[in-house]
Amino acid sequence: MNEGQDWIYSDIVKDHFLNPRNFLFGDESKFDFDAVGVVGNPICGDQMKMYIKVKNGKIEDIRWKTYGCASAIASTSALSELAKGKTLDEVVNISAKDIDDYLGNLPKHKFHCSVLGHQALADAVKKYRAE
Amino acid sequence: MVYLDYAATSPLLPEVITAMHEAEQKFFANASALHTPGHLAMNKIEETRKLLAQLINANPDEIIFTSGASEANNTVIRTFAGHKIYTSPLEHHSIDEAARVLGGNKKPALYSYMFANNEIGEILSIENIIKKAHKNGDYIHSDLTQVLGKLPINIKALDLDYATFSAHKIGGPVGVGALFIKDGAPFKSLIIGGNQEGKRRGTTYNTAGIIGFGAALKYAIKHKTWDIYDAKIRALRDGLAKRILEEIPGSSLNTDITPGKSLPNILNASFQAAEGESIQLYLDAEGIIVSTGSACASGDIKPSHVLMAKTGDAEVAHSSIRFSFGLDNTEEDVKKVMQVLPGIINRLQKISTIERES
Repeated sequence: MNEGQDWIYSDIVKDHFLNPRNFLFGDESKFDFDAVGVVGNPICGDQMKMYIKVKNGKIEDIRWKTYGCASAIASTSALSELAKGKTLDEVVNISAKDIDDYLGNLPKHKFHCSVLGHQALADAVKKYRAE
Repeated sequence: MVYLDYAATSPLLPEVITAMHEAEQKFFANASALHTPGHLAMNKIEETRKLLAQLINANPDEIIFTSGASEANNTVIRTFAGHKIYTSPLEHHSIDEAARVLGGNKKPALYSYMFANNEIGEILSIENIIKKAHKNGDYIHSDLTQVLGKLPINIKALDLDYATFSAHKIGGPVGVGALFIKDGAPFKSLIIGGNQEGKRRGTTYNTAGIIGFGAALKYAIKHKTWDIYDAKIRALRDGLAKRILEEIPGSSLNTDITPGKSLPNILNASFQAAEGESIQLYLDAEGIIVSTGSACASGDIKPSHVLMAKTGDAEVAHSSIRFSFGLDNTEEDVKKVMQVLPGIINRLQKISTIERES
């Protein structure tokens, strides 16, 4: 896992877990979004929603909600930072690896189950474009 | 730090540390040897055997030491390889996985039913299983790992054929366990080669570890720890349960805290819309140490089989936290938990994709 450190995840994961960025706290009507995408299933232990506000083909603002473990929360938080200000074409190409690189590599067994937010983001973009 | 993970392992008692330090200096010789230092080491090992026999009401000859509860459990299952093996749905993986791999259809059968579960603390009613097994000429094993020191144990009255114990749940060292084998019950060695343990288990005796186990047993007997668990620890556990239900919306108990239904030191609770590993690690960041039945925490993809068997609800299992108390816990510890837990759950519920029902 995180050998040599005193916490199970890296410092940057810990920071995004303890101080998550851009989360949507409480009722989703508090954020004026253009589209929302979803991925995952609570039965499997992780579910994420990405809410996007689009202006001039770019992500002007973004919020998320997550039900999941520490790396699920941290990876969604990291994704929201990665996506902000980018064009829709750019954000649909954000991969799990990009999120993992940003966070300084999650433990392998966490990677597949908790780095899912980019799929929710792509889903949101698809829904926005379909409108 | 508020440590509430005693059911996973407990810190060494000061008496155990002292005894093990002495053992490493004075009783280092191979306990199987005929020379005096070896003989003295063996005497200390036999002291521990007598203490355990006294505590559980068995004969010392019916006890062998093992590397822990998993080995003791595996030894019993392997003895019945190819035989029909019945297990409760709440067994430790060292029982249920071994039974799945090694079980067959031969008679006599083995029933392996733990006396009390480690994740939710449930006390199983095994009296009828024991009677049923013996009526049909079958055998019964019970994993008593979580029970030792927590409740009085009388193996003869229970009429068990095999029982498993572990040192590190009662303030003894990790790496030492014991298996009770009723005189005359079938037995096959797991570790073959060596005259140790009456030819029942090869390997040089773990003298210092067994002496540490003895010191922990002596402590349990001297202080009648089961009485302390029944009074002081039960009050702490029940107090925490009450406050969780009253102060945290969406909380529910997976442990039945009615006296007689569960071990007095274990409380398992679920928090709707909040995931267990996140709860565990937010608590960890506040210096509060607990465990969870969530899949994420175990490195597995499935949540706890025990909570799935009890609730049938993966979300409840993923959202579960186990608080397990030890003799050192205080009222202050419960207060510290309740200073931060409601806020942690509220925050996780508010950022969750799942809506909390009322």
